[in-house]
Amino acid sequence: MNQTASVANETVDYGRQREPLSLLRLVTNLYFLYSVSLLSFFVIWDRVAEYHLLGDALVRPHLVALQLYQLTQMKFAGQNLMGHIWASTQRILVGFSIASVIAVPLGLFMALNKYANAIVKPVFDLFKPMPPIAWVSISILWFGIGEASKVFIIIIGTFVPCLLNAYNGVRLVEPELYDVVRVLGGKRRDEIVQVCFPASFPAIFAGLQISLSIAWTCVLAAELMSSRDGLGFLIKRGMDTHKPALVLGGMVLIAVAAWSTSQILGLVERKICPWKRSIENL
Amino acid sequence: MTPTSPDIKIRCENISKTFIQKGHMEVPVIRDVSLDVRENEFLVVLGPGQCGKSTLLRIIAGLETPDTGSVTLDESPVTGPGPDRGMVFQSYMLFAWKTVLSNVELGPKLRGVPKDQRREIARKYLELVGLSSFEKHYPHQLSGGMKQRVGIARAYANDPKIMLLDEPFGQLDAQTRMFMQVETARIWDQEKRTVIFVTNNIDEALYLGDRIVLMRGKLPGVIHHEYLVDLPRPRDHTNMDLLRMRAKIIDETELVL
Repeated sequence: MNQTASVANETVDYGRQREPLSLLRLVTNLYFLYSVSLLSFFVIWDRVAEYHLLGDALVRPHLVALQLYQLTQMKFAGQNLMGHIWASTQRILVGFSIASVIAVPLGLFMALNKYANAIVKPVFDLFKPMPPIAWVSISILWFGIGEASKVFIIIIGTFVPCLLNAYNGVRLVEPELYDVVRVLGGKRRDEIVQVCFPASFPAIFAGLQISLSIAWTCVLAAELMSSRDGLGFLIKRGMDTHKPALVLGGMVLIAVAAWSTSQILGLVERKICPWKRSIENL
Repeated sequence: MTPTSPDIKIRCENISKTFIQKGHMEVPVIRDVSLDVRENEFLVVLGPGQCGKSTLLRIIAGLETPDTGSVTLDESPVTGPGPDRGMVFQSYMLFAWKTVLSNVELGPKLRGVPKDQRREIARKYLELVGLSSFEKHYPHQLSGGMKQRVGIARAYANDPKIMLLDEPFGQLDAQTRMFMQVETARIWDQEKRTVIFVTNNIDEALYLGDRIVLMRGKLPGVIHHEYLVDLPRPRDHTNMDLLRMRAKIIDETELVL
């Protein structure tokens, strides 16, 4: 790229400035540092496993990859790998959908109506600090070891952030924006439709993202307790049969699955809120 | 009080307002302010920060109710906000989730104007403020000066009788601010309205105002002095008469800018 700057009548031509490849330039290159970071992680893992520094419960990275490959080639406990991934994902989708469909509107309504808030909030505050995993045992007693108890845990876990974020999203709307609608001749209904809802979308999506990551925690906990399929089941089975590669492989799969669902939700958000990308410049 | 003359658009009579702060601290914000604004007059309310001038504007807008006194618009009392008074806010207050065009057409939309018609209105005023090619942009893609142009177009699109501008250029850098003053004078010349313009900037006041109402520099706000700026337009920031007047205003206040 040639850059031309003109100073008074003089034209100065800055040709391509080629610096010699120096060591300093290399070690300050961020992509180089990213690679160093990842590579050393795997090398250290590999060495620790090779020399049994953590006993024989840590296997070398390529064995985990091999295990995952084998899972795609055969059925495990009656399901292939996709079946196990789908089993967990399905539970999350059901629980997460039920929770968000109830909690988000309820949160919005509580923020808009102080009487609704006064009725719901005390009970909500009672349950809010309770970690969702604390519900695992009681939910098995109530719903048995089938799907219902797992979905129930997910609903419990995701409900709180969904509701709180929707609620705070409305409460944190710049009050002067309502003035704009009023000055333009809008009614209370216009304030809600034109300002309140769209302004709280980013907060709602932040809540959904938090909920989604909690949902993965919950489904894992529920499946570790009792299940015949799912990623938590793979991990549990790996632990029971002492197959560290299976445990680690299951962990990797959960990370990938959780990351993927979060990316999909992010895509949906960008579709619904195309204006949000640089809201901080507002 | 002056006798009612036919071209009085806005009349404020003996307005006082006291805010109650947390607990029961009473803060008198404006006291006994009376003000007449004539049709198509460009009135500037000048005063330093925290002198109650914005509160006065919000009372005229109907966003606040005065404790005593009354505001009348075309001889009917103001009881709340309404589309006959357009307002431009200091921090723009654009809807981040709406495009420039949707922001501008919101007023007509709320009044139930059909889509084609309100689009046409919005485009007309976007052209007036010089933003025709930005109608599909979102506010965050615009500079401060452009955002406030949208704010001005949005207020105009509702075809208000009165334009209320609350320190509209307070967040702009000095260069842009000066340019926006020139633009405001041009826009007002093209689309005459009764304007009440609140500012803390003497040069802005002198450049734009037909009349300047100077408010005292501390609470509660009262009108300290009134100046008639009888200078030809378009004005020049460095005109001698204008600078003489500037010196006079500075002399008469603790306002130093």
